[in-house]
Amino acid sequence: MPSYVVMQPTTLCNLDCSYCYLPLRAADHRMSPEVSRAVAADVNRWVTGQRFSVVWHGGEPMAAGREHLARLMEPFAPEVEHHLQTNATLIDDAWCDFFRAHNVRVSVSIDGPERHDEARRTRGGLSGYPRIIKGITTLRRHGLPFAALCVVSSPGPAVAKDLYAFFLDLGCEVLGINIEEREGVNERDNRHAAADVRAFWAELTSAWRDDPSIHVREIEWSLRYVSAVLDRTDGDLLPRRLDPIPTVGYDGSVVLLSPELAGFTHDRYGDFASGNVLTTPLATLLREPAALPWVSEFVTGVENCRATCPYFGFCGGGHAANRFFEHGRFDGTETEHCRNSKINLLEGVLDHVRGA
Amino acid sequence: MSEELDRVTTRIREAHAELTPLLKVARDARIGRAEAAGADSSAVCAWNHFENIPTFFNWNNRPR
Repeated sequence: MPSYVVMQPTTLCNLDCSYCYLPLRAADHRMSPEVSRAVAADVNRWVTGQRFSVVWHGGEPMAAGREHLARLMEPFAPEVEHHLQTNATLIDDAWCDFFRAHNVRVSVSIDGPERHDEARRTRGGLSGYPRIIKGITTLRRHGLPFAALCVVSSPGPAVAKDLYAFFLDLGCEVLGINIEEREGVNERDNRHAAADVRAFWAELTSAWRDDPSIHVREIEWSLRYVSAVLDRTDGDLLPRRLDPIPTVGYDGSVVLLSPELAGFTHDRYGDFASGNVLTTPLATLLREPAALPWVSEFVTGVENCRATCPYFGFCGGGHAANRFFEHGRFDGTETEHCRNSKINLLEGVLDHVRGA
Repeated sequence: MSEELDRVTTRIREAHAELTPLLKVARDARIGRAEAAGADSSAVCAWNHFENIPTFFNWNNRPR
């Protein structure tokens, strides 16, 4: 069984970020309560034996409105953890009351100070930054803790120190850094010089070391791996089973492994969907994921990584969406995403300790 | 091939002395953030439960 499910309450996003991968973000297709009831039927069983999270993602999930989101959340048992990934532009006092009342854990998308946030535009072409900051300020005024996701489009030296200082000042508790990826409808080149990317991660590690009060996902995972290698327990680090990470689209269709594949079709792979929760229980759709040709091909790709890549113990094999959107298939190995966000991350951390 | 596959872990072990102080910083920081095992987790710290990191906070979900 999965440990979380990604739900798309609406396809709509009120921003139009230049690097966004979502194909339907200008359309307001909303999830029906029937879809969330169908998902909750299985989730409410699963949560009795383990922690379980529902991640409300979009589009911009808050664009669905509080009343609709509440209806979608209503079928889930109280033990289910709700998470929401948002661009923060719609956060106001009423939404903060909603987050508290529904115990929603919030993560905001923000790419740093305004000069780093230029990709974040309204549909009218204006900077989204003032509204993003206003929303985060409101979260803070209500004392709601939050995480942040930051996209870095141009990793290099002299970027990370300012960026980390910004997030310290912002007050997030957790930070994830996504080097921009070529996936979905975003076809921008994501190739960077290895030295630049390593310098970025080395500088971030150095800045974090000076004040490690934020949980930085990439640094945590790097050091967790390094520690396991030194303890010779790295063989136990990777999960032993595939977490299917089901993404449930607004219409109830289910895509496994990579949310970024939802909404796309391909001559050879079809629409990547495993089925629809309105006609088949989610648990049934998850039973034999490898029966899907593209999932089977992905598993072959992971094994190819294991057989050839010295970073496999750290990475566990490239993500399905990165393989597909960079290679056009799932059984290839190293991607630009691997280089930017895994290989040169680990090398950057090692550069930091070597004083390179 | 095996030597090639081991070259990253070999380099990490060779950097043991330099890595140890950094790992201590990380360990102390986790305690400071109440993320250490057995610590009373805050709402956001639940995100950091390594086996339950939601959506794009997921690092990998690959089978061994």
